[in-house]
Amino acid sequence: MTSVDTLSAADMIRLFASWKTLFADRREELIALDGKVGDSDLGITMSKGFAAAAEAVAAEGESADIGKLLRVAGAVMARTAPSTMGTLTATGFIGAGKALQGANSLGSPEIALFWRSFRDSVAERGKAKLGDKTLLDVLDPVAVTLDAQAASGATLMHALAQAAQTAELALEATKLMKAQRGKAAAYQDATIGLQDAGATAGTLMIVRMWEFVHSSDAI
Amino acid sequence: MKKFLNDPTAFVDEMLDGIYTAHPSLDFVAGDRRCMVATRSVPGKVGIATGGGSGHLPLFLGYVGEGMLDGVAVGGVFQSPSAEQMYQVTKHIDQGAGVLYIYGNYSGDIINFDMAAELADIDGIVVKQVIGNDDAASSVIGEEHKRRGVAGIIFVYKAAGAAAAAGLPLDEVTRIADKARARTRTMGVALSSCVVPEIGHATFSIGEEEMEIGMGIHGEPGISRTKLARADAVVDQMMPPIFAELAFNRGDNVAVLVNGLGGTPLEELYILFRRAAQLFDERGVTIKHVFIGEYATSMEMAGASISVLHLDDELDAMISRTANTPFFKHFPG
Repeated sequence: MTSVDTLSAADMIRLFASWKTLFADRREELIALDGKVGDSDLGITMSKGFAAAAEAVAAEGESADIGKLLRVAGAVMARTAPSTMGTLTATGFIGAGKALQGANSLGSPEIALFWRSFRDSVAERGKAKLGDKTLLDVLDPVAVTLDAQAASGATLMHALAQAAQTAELALEATKLMKAQRGKAAAYQDATIGLQDAGATAGTLMIVRMWEFVHSSDAI
Repeated sequence: MKKFLNDPTAFVDEMLDGIYTAHPSLDFVAGDRRCMVATRSVPGKVGIATGGGSGHLPLFLGYVGEGMLDGVAVGGVFQSPSAEQMYQVTKHIDQGAGVLYIYGNYSGDIINFDMAAELADIDGIVVKQVIGNDDAASSVIGEEHKRRGVAGIIFVYKAAGAAAAAGLPLDEVTRIADKARARTRTMGVALSSCVVPEIGHATFSIGEEEMEIGMGIHGEPGISRTKLARADAVVDQMMPPIFAELAFNRGDNVAVLVNGLGGTPLEELYILFRRAAQLFDERGVTIKHVFIGEYATSMEMAGASISVLHLDDELDAMISRTANTPFFKHFPG
């Protein structure tokens, strides 16, 4: 266990670089997943959006507060990856950035605030309901888990480990749902049994955040 | 994949370079060639903006010009443009009379146009929206709000564009646009897939001998996949939902748009139109306006759609008026 249990601005810049690598690596997989019931652009959207966001937060630099970094990442992503998932992810970062204005480190209470604000922003913009088989079906249980973890005084690493596990279970649960939103909705019953593509991208983000904190050199 | 490309990632921007060079009536703002506006503006006129992914030419940008649209935000292939791009277009085309957004019912476009409207609102620009949902195959009656927007949006552009050109205020332009939307239905049929340049392979597979009725313009699933039938039989399968929903009386008038999806010869579109015209004739319905050609494509997809606008006197007058854009020229008489 590491003695430092928070993420700094410098860590956030490295986390965005890690997300960039993640979505570059998973580009084809997401294209294929989205291609089953969508228009195949998810892999392109996420790899482009995170590449631009990683560059922008690096340019902003670690002297910025974390709220600022998140808002910069969101604004750049909204411009470079304006498909549904790109815009929703961007909106999530902007919302989290507003909530974390002035923050210089993120412990488990702040990470809970991060994902709660991210979820609220996505819900407001995307207008999906729980069970519609979207990104929200992962974000909501993750936010709820992190709130509970923070309330019980869990360390950041422990809270994120729980959140990552929750995300994977919630993603698995999207298989049972019937798509109500986006291009996938046209496939109706054929979407049952498939895991949602947007929820997959969200899960990848959350799991990578945990892996990043878990890796010994991250903090 | 067999395409004329230099670089798949430059597909949209190189296309736009060609468009601007070919059509001096088009310009861009905010230093971003994806924020397209008409070079000439009409003082005091309600501005009309659209936007959406590339890969559908002449949709969307082809309809910017006299009697139609004032600006368009251009996205990547099958991807929404950004809210920022839409906002920049909005700011430029607002003449103080407000701006109407007309675009298709797709989540990415809705999210971004909503964001753009919020940004415009901060500047005091009044924005209204009409969201095209003409694809009768994409959801059942009663769930029209889930339907996709396809080629029938051209009728909405035309009616709204004529209303704005006539100097009507934003509320009236919006009302007429919404009436055109509500009275338009489209049915499509696909014979082959599209290929997104950056992906490089077919979006979906369909057998050499198969057709899919109701497929969307990004390859969304249709309502039936069967062996390709004779042309007349294909039209006979496409038209019933349109006839059922638009409830024509003898003596009614319509505008008909037979649209090629990108990989179907014009000759075949006329063969389809021939049968559609017979069906209208049998019902005593007069086709007052005919548009046949490529209006809303899906890259190289082979296939066609038939859009019908159930006219009333007001819409008839709006469709009749002059329009002159790089891809749509219409003169009364």
